[in-house]
Amino acid sequence: MKSDDRSQPDTARNEDEGNGVNRREFLSTATAAGLAAASLGASEKALTQEVSQTRVAAVSPPSARQESMEYDVPTGYSAEEAQEYFVRNPGSDFMVDILKHLDFDYVTTNPGSSFRGIHESIVNYGGNQAPELIEANHEEIATAMSHGYYKVTGRPLVMLAHGTVGLQHAAMAVYNAWCDRAPMVILAGNHLDVQHRRPGVEWSHSAQDCVRVVRDYIKWDDNPVSLTHFAESMARAYKIAMTPPMGPVAIVLDGHLQEMEVGDQQLMMPAMAPTQPPSGDWGAVQEAAQWLVEAENPVIVVDLMSHNQEGMERLIALAEALQAPVVNQYGRTNFPNNHHLAQGASAIAQADVILGLELYDTWGTINTLRDRVHKDAQRRARPDARVIDIGTKDLFTKSNYQSFQRYYAADLSIAGDAQATLPVLTDAVESAMSRSRRSSNGEREERWRAAHLRGREQALDAARYAWNASPVSTARLYAELWNVVKDRDWALVSDDGQQSRWARRLWPMDKHYQWIGRSGGAGLGYGAPSALGAALAHRPEGRLAINVQRDGDMMYVPGTFWTAAHHGIPMLTVTHDNQGYHQEFMHLQRMSARRQRGVDGSSWVGNELRNPDIDLAKIVEGMGVWSEGPYTDPNDIGPAMARALEVVDSGEPAFVHIRTQPR
Amino acid sequence: MIIPKGLFPCALVSLVLWSGVGTAQESGADASEGRALYESHQCWQCHGYEGQGGGAGVRIAPMVYPFEAFAQLVRHTNLMPAYSPNVLSDENLRLIHAYLRSIPEPPALEDIPELDFD
Repeated sequence: MKSDDRSQPDTARNEDEGNGVNRREFLSTATAAGLAAASLGASEKALTQEVSQTRVAAVSPPSARQESMEYDVPTGYSAEEAQEYFVRNPGSDFMVDILKHLDFDYVTTNPGSSFRGIHESIVNYGGNQAPELIEANHEEIATAMSHGYYKVTGRPLVMLAHGTVGLQHAAMAVYNAWCDRAPMVILAGNHLDVQHRRPGVEWSHSAQDCVRVVRDYIKWDDNPVSLTHFAESMARAYKIAMTPPMGPVAIVLDGHLQEMEVGDQQLMMPAMAPTQPPSGDWGAVQEAAQWLVEAENPVIVVDLMSHNQEGMERLIALAEALQAPVVNQYGRTNFPNNHHLAQGASAIAQADVILGLELYDTWGTINTLRDRVHKDAQRRARPDARVIDIGTKDLFTKSNYQSFQRYYAADLSIAGDAQATLPVLTDAVESAMSRSRRSSNGEREERWRAAHLRGREQALDAARYAWNASPVSTARLYAELWNVVKDRDWALVSDDGQQSRWARRLWPMDKHYQWIGRSGGAGLGYGAPSALGAALAHRPEGRLAINVQRDGDMMYVPGTFWTAAHHGIPMLTVTHDNQGYHQEFMHLQRMSARRQRGVDGSSWVGNELRNPDIDLAKIVEGMGVWSEGPYTDPNDIGPAMARALEVVDSGEPAFVHIRTQPR
Repeated sequence: MIIPKGLFPCALVSLVLWSGVGTAQESGADASEGRALYESHQCWQCHGYEGQGGGAGVRIAPMVYPFEAFAQLVRHTNLMPAYSPNVLSDENLRLIHAYLRSIPEPPALEDIPELDFD
């Protein structure tokens, strides 16, 4: 084709090519039928309906030539000049078509030149709506926001990164998402063809294998060399990311591909159909049911299982059918903590059959390793306890990073998504129940109700200690916070694991969205941005997002609060500021005691966040966030939280800085 | 004080033998000095500044164990790093014990409206 062909109307060819639909008309149709995230929690029937509704036919959008007919050469320019100065139908517009087709809500990003093409297309061609750009000050923030957003909505976001630079910044947050089985689509800008790289920085920001830096902890990646290739790989990436075990995927966005004139290429929107989640083998599930029914003390241990509220409902059904206690390891909400079958980990020691559901660490559930000079393993479960392990962890196939935990040979290991498997398992349990076994449920329920009540009383009693202490006890922090938020539709968007688990011990949680689990890879810099991503997800629902923010985590990613202010994301933050990297304090103290030296103070060295003390409230104030504090008097914090809530109710983030006891 | 699960046999025997043994009221000076040692020796890291315990360590205040049982737990333990007399003398440990015994009971549950979750 001659170069000037691209800028000239060609009525005859247009008619030959056409389906009579221009891209904008096509988009409105495709988006209306657009792909919803695969809902693993829906019943099979509902899921089937959803799939049938979201299949989008592979129809041909209008070609660029058709599109170009909508425009004229700008006044005062020859066709040749126009070709040199202007692009009428850039490749990145089609990329945005794909993002809309896949129904992404947001694109989180820190800007970079390697994706300037799609950046402009999102803003001006896509209207910065569905997806809307969320600007972050660091790719670690952008990635963790996507992570948190998914855990509330079940919908992945796009994280758009400046390939070489951005992916290296994002790496730890990607690893967290990988460990936590949180899907997202990473788009990484890059310039592959040397002819198109500008001298200097563009070379140092390009790579022959841009995704390599994170490939050990993503599920799949591709480097498309055409727009058709991009479209197909995006559809494949989405499908892979959302099929359990879920995880991040990455697609390289070639700079030239984004900026090129599309010309008369026939570009197709790929049809989409979510993959059904894998369910456990039928025969093995029947055997598992038999073991559970015959057990005197079956115990269910659950970790990364519930994808949504339906997962919780399914687990309640199984637990009640068996009257079996549930030990929640809280990778997700999984089970209501105010249900009488919600029990502590000590229940595991009594079990004769243990059912593990999506356990991150089966070995560590059954055993413990004492941290002494000679580390010795001890089985915490009964020697004769049989273990059934249902989950998708055996479907992970990576080698380098050891997040798969220590090998454990379960007595019955079933590969399958636990939530998808639960209805079959519960039906099998119901079928296998004899009358006498069913009649024993009353006694079992009574026993576990009593144990649950004891646990509740112990938690409340423990919360009294250091009630009036300064700095503020973490129990008091959560109790005061509860009294401010208890009448709202609230959601905790942070992990209380470093605060003695007070939210889980005190606050009643019976909705899936009230808790988003942990980071996955335990990398600092996850807490604040994942909380903000979750808060973004709660915003349209009008829920109150509550973030208990650790000081060490915040100092990795303080810019998170600028993003909160910039995008008007309401979130109530109170701090757990213990002025140090406290976990590491304890490790250093352990080493000192073991070596019999320096236990009288050396563990501050390298672990403290004081001298000078950090004024966290002033930091966020400087980024446009309402703040108060620091407070050390426990009597001050309740009123401060109430004032902060008024700000959040107005649609803005608010921040109360509280200095606390260490844990 | 929470009695840790898995307490080794000799400590349990000790607790039985020493339980009910009368204790002298610790002096204010001892408690004050003990608090300084409690802080400088980093006991607060796991047990909190007032011995309230939490996710990282058990509650150790108000201290109900006699000194000998307390020392046994500190010196010979699988529950926490063992502190030998080389780094924490009996004299200093006794002062820490005095501090923990000086910490009063917290308010009763019914006197804390914020903990009324019903």
